[in-house]
Amino acid sequence: MSEITRRPAVRSSVAAGAVVLVAVLAAGNQSASALGFGAVGGLVFAVGLATGRHRAVDVGALALFLGVVAGGLEATAVEPTIVATVATVVAWDLAHGAIALGDQLGREADTRRLEAIRASSSLLVGLLSGTVGYAVYVFGGSGQPVAAVVLLLVAAVLIVVGFGGGRSGSTRRRRTRH
Amino acid sequence: MNRRAIALAFGLAAFVAAIAVLAGLLEFGLAQPVIVVVGLAAIGIGLRALFAREPPRNVGTPDPERSTDVPVPGETLRESLGAFRSVETSYAVTSRRTVEGLRAAAIAVCSRFGGDDEERARERVESGEWTDDDVAAAFLSPSLERPSGSVRDRIAAVAGRGSRCDDGVRRAVAAIARVGDGESDGSLPRYDPDEGRPVRDRGTRTATDPIDGTQRRRERATNYWHGIGVVALLAVGVGVVAEAPAVVLAGVVGVGYAGFSRAFEPPELELSIDRELSDDEPAPGDEIDVTVTIINERDGFVPDLRIVDGVPAGMAVTEGSSRLGTALRPGESVRLEYAVTVGRGSHEFDPVLAVVGDLSRSTEREYLVGAETTVVCEPELRPVAAPVPLRPAGATVSGRLRTEEAGAGTTFHSVRQYRRGDPLARVDWNRRARTGELATLQFHEERSARVVVLVDARRDAYLAPDSETTHAVNRSVAAAGRIAASLLAEGDTVGLAGLGAIDRNRDEEPCWLAPAAGRHHEVRLAELLASHPQFSTIPPTNGGRWLWQLRGLRRRLATGTQVVLLTPLCDGVSEDIARRLDSRGYPVTIVSPDPTADGTAGERLARVARTVRMFDLRRAGIPVVDWPADESIDTVFARRAASAGDRR
Repeated sequence: MSEITRRPAVRSSVAAGAVVLVAVLAAGNQSASALGFGAVGGLVFAVGLATGRHRAVDVGALALFLGVVAGGLEATAVEPTIVATVATVVAWDLAHGAIALGDQLGREADTRRLEAIRASSSLLVGLLSGTVGYAVYVFGGSGQPVAAVVLLLVAAVLIVVGFGGGRSGSTRRRRTRH
Repeated sequence: MNRRAIALAFGLAAFVAAIAVLAGLLEFGLAQPVIVVVGLAAIGIGLRALFAREPPRNVGTPDPERSTDVPVPGETLRESLGAFRSVETSYAVTSRRTVEGLRAAAIAVCSRFGGDDEERARERVESGEWTDDDVAAAFLSPSLERPSGSVRDRIAAVAGRGSRCDDGVRRAVAAIARVGDGESDGSLPRYDPDEGRPVRDRGTRTATDPIDGTQRRRERATNYWHGIGVVALLAVGVGVVAEAPAVVLAGVVGVGYAGFSRAFEPPELELSIDRELSDDEPAPGDEIDVTVTIINERDGFVPDLRIVDGVPAGMAVTEGSSRLGTALRPGESVRLEYAVTVGRGSHEFDPVLAVVGDLSRSTEREYLVGAETTVVCEPELRPVAAPVPLRPAGATVSGRLRTEEAGAGTTFHSVRQYRRGDPLARVDWNRRARTGELATLQFHEERSARVVVLVDARRDAYLAPDSETTHAVNRSVAAAGRIAASLLAEGDTVGLAGLGAIDRNRDEEPCWLAPAAGRHHEVRLAELLASHPQFSTIPPTNGGRWLWQLRGLRRRLATGTQVVLLTPLCDGVSEDIARRLDSRGYPVTIVSPDPTADGTAGERLARVARTVRMFDLRRAGIPVVDWPADESIDTVFARRAASAGDRR
């Protein structure tokens, strides 16, 4: 009888690989240290994705993000960093989605539509928050100290997160049990 | 203090700081070393957050595509040794129990196949004469020294490849198997004292009880985005400290995702599921196409829907997949198509498992959607090509079973002195002409047999050598149908009975169909074999009261009824059943599908135990037909008929 191939879904994995390449290139464009972190992170990420390990994907994505941050510290233009960040998060999301889908449904199942919805929603959120941040930076930042504008933005986001929706309660209850 | 309070505190602090900077009360000008220290601290906190992060927890899905797993006979050595247990070994200390058990096994095979009686076998095991293998001999005899091994053995022992004891067990089992089987391939079995089948973490059913409509089972947070808020916050912090707007914006993107992860809730699900089969009554082994249509009945978008169809245990998916991941608009439908091969039995589809997530994948809900479909697959009643080996004892009605009794018939039996009233046709006129004496020829009487086919479907009979091979009960039931068909075709009357677990809560009765003949009877028989709960292809969970069932069966059996017992003969009870029936005057013939394997020490010993059991039964006058896993019942019966001479 046919065993189920419980390995990461192919389409999402390929997409994640492509997006992670974009992230590495966009970040590596900025500085040598960014390229170093990015390349190592991208490699760990790819290996983790190929073997279906959540943790390796986490480590790879974090290293890649450190590369992005390192590049951003030295950068003069903010656009590549925003692109690299969105790409990193989307790749990380796609990778986890691919692994989870592979585990739940296996490679034989038809999951095209689900994967498409997931990838586009994730990309949309990144682009939207990136654009909002960029707009605030461009229009609000002129003449004012950058730090103050940013602090205001962070304050707003954090307060929203802090008051949050009621439904994150279940998540928290479970976490405290550990 | 929880994370939300921390976030709130940080947010307020950031707000105050921002106001201070704007008012010119605070200056952000930091030296390079400070930035490095802060950066390192940020990395440290980030890493801690990372390792505190658990991988996303998703709802595990079962494997309904897979057929049910049944154990291999002799999964552990201890279990196999139990078959040879006697009074003296059952009270031994644990450490000695293995050796005592193996010694009992060695004595058992030597007294059966070595040509010795029990006492002599014991002496031979004691003196080590029973085998050529010095290590095995010494392992089982306290009076013998283990031979000092070759250099290679010692290196292997030092290198830790198995202790001396493990090696002794393996060699002893191999030696016992050589005496028992007579087939020597010289290979040693695998042995691991902690052996046992790896536990499958996935079940094979979506749910055990049927369900009406859509039912919510559980909801769980997946922790999918857990940690992204911390990382984003770090980036914002580092960016602010280093006055790098790019990094701050990177952090803002991360915060955006953190908000996204909390923004949604999975939709309530209401699906209607319709399942269509290309054939409702297939024959065993047929491939049928299954088409499942899933319709979203609610007026809400379902962004993340994962579906696992509840394929019954007796079916195996061969083409396509019974799983689907999709999104559904209100009122939209989606089709799932796959092909399955159907085994014998009555199969009911389990409820469909549907996992629904929100757009951000942070929460998953599990639903079960009832969609009952039943497929009944009756075994084919095709007569076996070779005659069924029955005992030569018949009923009083004339038929085609040749008995040992002398009388009218066609095959010569003997000659006896003429008695008044003997039919003239049977007087031996040649002898009369030669010697002048009157003698009467006698022939084997030909009668019809009354047979009950008894299937051993106790939980202990659900055995298979590996996961690909059909298990013993399925083989038994298939053979039962074909044996019954052959006997009915020969004009015998055939009944059916089963020993196995029944669910008394559902008012189930042990299978019983009194011997009869005719087309109607044949149909009833096929129905029972297909759908009686005792003959289920899924191993039962409870043991069943075989002794009580056997008593009930004996009350129903008419005197002189033959019993064809189908059992794998892998435990003492099956032997007991045969002996009990035979001693009560029901001639028993055993047809035994062989489910044994020989990879590990336990499996090989279980095979030896089965051989010993067959030998004992044959010695007690009960014929046993051994049916290897790789042969058809036709081949086995044909070989039996050829070796025994045509008895019918």
